[in-house]
Amino acid sequence: MNTFMDKLESVLMPIADKLNNNRYLTALRDGFMIALPLIIFGSIFVVLANLPFLDQLIGEEAFTTYQEALGPASAATLSIMGAFVIIGIGTKLTQSYDIEGIYGGVAAFAAFLILTPQTLEEVSGVIPTSVLGAEGMFVGIFTAFIAAELYRFFVQKNLTIKMPAGVPEAVSRSFSALIPITLTLSVFLIVRIIFSYSPFDTVQNFIYTIIQEPLTALGSGLPATLVAVLLIQLFWFFGLHGQIIINSVFDPIWYALNDENLQAFQAGGELPNIVTKQFIDTFLVGMGGSGMTLAVVIGIFLIGRSRQLKELGKLGGPPGVFNVNEPIIFGLPIIMNPLALIPWLLAPVVVTMITYFAMASGIVPKPAGIIVPWTTPVGLSGFLATGNAWQGAVLQFFNMAVVFLIWWPFLKILDKSYYESEKKGEQTQAS
Amino acid sequence: MKQILLACSSGMSTSLLVKKMEEEAEKRGVDVKIWAVAQDKAAKELENADALLIGPQMRFMKKKYAKTAEELGTSLDVIDSVAYGRVDGKAVLNHALKLIDG
Repeated sequence: MNTFMDKLESVLMPIADKLNNNRYLTALRDGFMIALPLIIFGSIFVVLANLPFLDQLIGEEAFTTYQEALGPASAATLSIMGAFVIIGIGTKLTQSYDIEGIYGGVAAFAAFLILTPQTLEEVSGVIPTSVLGAEGMFVGIFTAFIAAELYRFFVQKNLTIKMPAGVPEAVSRSFSALIPITLTLSVFLIVRIIFSYSPFDTVQNFIYTIIQEPLTALGSGLPATLVAVLLIQLFWFFGLHGQIIINSVFDPIWYALNDENLQAFQAGGELPNIVTKQFIDTFLVGMGGSGMTLAVVIGIFLIGRSRQLKELGKLGGPPGVFNVNEPIIFGLPIIMNPLALIPWLLAPVVVTMITYFAMASGIVPKPAGIIVPWTTPVGLSGFLATGNAWQGAVLQFFNMAVVFLIWWPFLKILDKSYYESEKKGEQTQAS
Repeated sequence: MKQILLACSSGMSTSLLVKKMEEEAEKRGVDVKIWAVAQDKAAKELENADALLIGPQMRFMKKKYAKTAEELGTSLDVIDSVAYGRVDGKAVLNHALKLIDG
């Protein structure tokens, strides 16, 4: 077993290293981080605008006025999250070359707008907000990468205007960005013109059809989701942060799916996707942390006899409510513990399938595209993520019971072995 | 005063540890400043720290900080996973002090 584990770790460690220290994936992750506060701000107002029973309470007309009053909050943030992600990625990627980031960020955003159709139903001079949401997510990410790379390339080539000494620094800095930005954006303008002669008409259209649609279709399916979930668990088993490693690949897909649902939810239509960012964050992480260990904490309180587990329960319980579970993962321990491997891998797979089918059959509403912070306690997060539906919370508690049952026999064996070794230790001390 | 920086994915689980380490330091009367940050902020905070300890689940990030840490003369290591699981403030504080004092 040990040599097998060693072998597996020697495979996983370099993957984790590559994925995490990859310049583009790091910029992608950090770029999303920049957008996150705005996304959550918007989410709060989507939740408030769709409070249950409010329409019956204050009347249809007042409710419409109320929704219209709150609308701009999410329209300016959550619905156009692509804009912030693009600026974030452009900034972070440029920064990674030790160049002032913000110019790379705005260059990326401008490049994206250059590639964007600027007419909507024959009205010119407009930018459709839909391209700043899910639809344009992938174009946005690629554009940000390429724009930031071009910008830093031109900066490093030293194609900048040098100002004489005595010119205030801010002034000379804005000029030093001039030539690189001009060259970068010109490249994108040429690309736009070339594409206008192609059957795809715009780059947006091209990337959406060729890359985004197939990828999100794949990512929204159950098989790909199970693979992602298993990989997250497997990384964690070796004590490596599974989410941060896997999410850097899956986040663009999950967020794009999320946004499709949000737009449908706000329009009052049928929600297209089951697997979204919230499917993962709320129904797999949001129940005590990765591996849904809040059920394990409850198990410890119910059956724990050994001092080690009792202590761990006290230590891991409070942070577990907010989905921070490193004490459990490293303290039980789950990492490298053959006894924990089966429930650790099995429980999330079973829960993923239950959640998927509960939503596919319509028993539980699909995630409404609202981004609930991953530290939101179980129950509340399920309620919010499904667009204020109590079924979401019930599903979480049902899943917790399932996790608990899967863990039960293994936890019992673990507790017994700790208990016996503690007793033995006391006896040798006494004698 | 010794400055000890902890980093993990979002600075959440390490902040549990910060409290325990502070308690231990106060008990012993050691003059330290201990704080936790998310991994993407760690590089920026490095210059204010005498030692950076990374959560074991982020140990693949060590390489990323190694160069900057060396330039700044900041000690760098990964927290022992058993001590991490037990949120063992004493062990991690000892680890940090040993790193700083060499």
